[in-house]
Amino acid sequence: MNHPLTRRDFLRGTTVAVLGASLGFGQDKAVPKKSRVILIRQRDVLDENTKINPDILQSMLDEAVMKLLDGSDPVKAFQKLVKPAETVGIKTNVWSYLPTPPELEAAIKRRVIDAGVAPDRIGLDDHTVRTNPLFVKATSLINVAPLRTHYLAGVCGCIKNYIMFAESQPAYHPDSCADLGSLYKLPQVMGKTRLNVLCVLTPQFHGRGPHNFNRRYVWSYKGLIVGLDPVAVDTIGLRLIMAKRREVLGKALELPPVPKHIRLADTRHGIGTSDINAIEFIKLGWNEDTLV
Amino acid sequence: MKVIGRRRAFFVAAVFLAASAAYLVSDGGAVADFGEKIPKKIGDLAASRKDQTFNRETLYDYMDGGAEVYLAFDFREVWSRKYAGPGGREMTLDIFDMGTPAEAFGAFSCDRQDPDAGIGQESEYGGGLLRFWQGRYFVTITASADDRAAAGAVHELGKEAAKPLGPPGAKPDMVAFLPAEALRSERTSYFHSVVNLNNRFFVASENLFRLDRSTDCVIGEYGAGGAESITLLLIRYPDPARARSARQSFLASYLPEAGPEGIARTENRKWVSVSARDNFLAVVFDAPSGDEAKKLGASVKFPAK
Repeated sequence: MNHPLTRRDFLRGTTVAVLGASLGFGQDKAVPKKSRVILIRQRDVLDENTKINPDILQSMLDEAVMKLLDGSDPVKAFQKLVKPAETVGIKTNVWSYLPTPPELEAAIKRRVIDAGVAPDRIGLDDHTVRTNPLFVKATSLINVAPLRTHYLAGVCGCIKNYIMFAESQPAYHPDSCADLGSLYKLPQVMGKTRLNVLCVLTPQFHGRGPHNFNRRYVWSYKGLIVGLDPVAVDTIGLRLIMAKRREVLGKALELPPVPKHIRLADTRHGIGTSDINAIEFIKLGWNEDTLV
Repeated sequence: MKVIGRRRAFFVAAVFLAASAAYLVSDGGAVADFGEKIPKKIGDLAASRKDQTFNRETLYDYMDGGAEVYLAFDFREVWSRKYAGPGGREMTLDIFDMGTPAEAFGAFSCDRQDPDAGIGQESEYGGGLLRFWQGRYFVTITASADDRAAAGAVHELGKEAAKPLGPPGAKPDMVAFLPAEALRSERTSYFHSVVNLNNRFFVASENLFRLDRSTDCVIGEYGAGGAESITLLLIRYPDPARARSARQSFLASYLPEAGPEGIARTENRKWVSVSARDNFLAVVFDAPSGDEAKKLGASVKFPAK
């Protein structure tokens, strides 16, 4: 960042401007095509105990991917993403307190199989992706991660979910994990990501300590954020987290410190767009308390 | 000369062994030994897998990112046990050996917000999470549920976990440097790194104060709380030159309109001041007047040289 974001920017109400394109409005930038991001929500995907209805979740994923790719059939839409002869790695997240739900993993895997990929050529992994043969051989990757705040990186979304591809994770931690975007340029990853799914069924908008999960800071948002561009997907995710923090914690705490890696994934590493004006944001489904 | 040398070596070794023994025995012992001292069954919850221990090298395997927050302190080891029970209920106990009581207090103090739970030297409980410190240990117990049964189990386990931790320890000396009048002591935090600063009291996205493991920081809050609070950040650097350099860095990026006195009014109509004295930097945020900012900064009880 050219100018550090400071406490005074909050006082001035210029946080958004200083964070720059990642959250900015009215910053015209000539882009050939906008990054499409789909937010889909369904009220009944979770019951009162946050138990997932897998059928509704499957239909949410299908509808989001169809809209993302202008398709009318979920299988055909997935066939645009992966080909039958491919080896596909689904990079999930197993953080014990708030993992990628197995129902979402299953929904993605089902459609990859429907698209013609043999089940034994589909990998599903988190911590051992660097050595998992299916991920070593993978020609396509699908990135699926829950959205939550993170003590170092501000937020943990699709970009940060690839840290397990790094030989040294701590090497990506300095300066608020500023260079997480470079993960997408690792040989095992570069050019292979076909779909990014940010799970916002029950996002976590605040946390205390690096290892803490607390149900007070999780809410049933009942959504998925889906896109081809991980930076655009995480940009919408950050806006959602900020909106919830503003609502619950107040304006002074709207920004989880300090999510600079999302903007830098765009401006420094060029793996996607964080410019809200270059994002075609489409909302589907249940629209109560959408926040973004 | 050789005899004297051997005697000296023997003496040094004896002192070292005695100190090590004192460290390991009187202060609670090695974390791996807690497995035998803490019950494996709490109500209808039972230890559900092999206990685990992680050190400074392996903490990354446990923390899923964020290990730096503990590594910024003098963290040595963490011992972890998971309990499971009917209905998918789970509870996780983590006991962090932070090296010294001051560091244990630091780890506890940075993310504090809930009412006292009466366990260990200081504690808090809320939302299924118990946190406390005792001696050189910082302890967290996290329940998967947030109801009365979970709270009961967490408190029972907390009391059991506190038993083998040894005697209480002293808070960091920096805490005593804070002016006592109107100090909200339960909001005092001690740390070293910019990660902790920004999560406790966000100042800037960059490390304007040039904090690292060699710096000691204490934050004190004064007044009624909320928007009316005055915040005092006191930083101790290894040498005066670093304190002066940090002052310049902060003034340039945060308070460029301040004159030589290092004081200015900010957008919320409150005042910020920054002053360096020897190897200390004192920064006052959100004082209602310039005089109040100067007065609080001048009230810091700097140690005698």
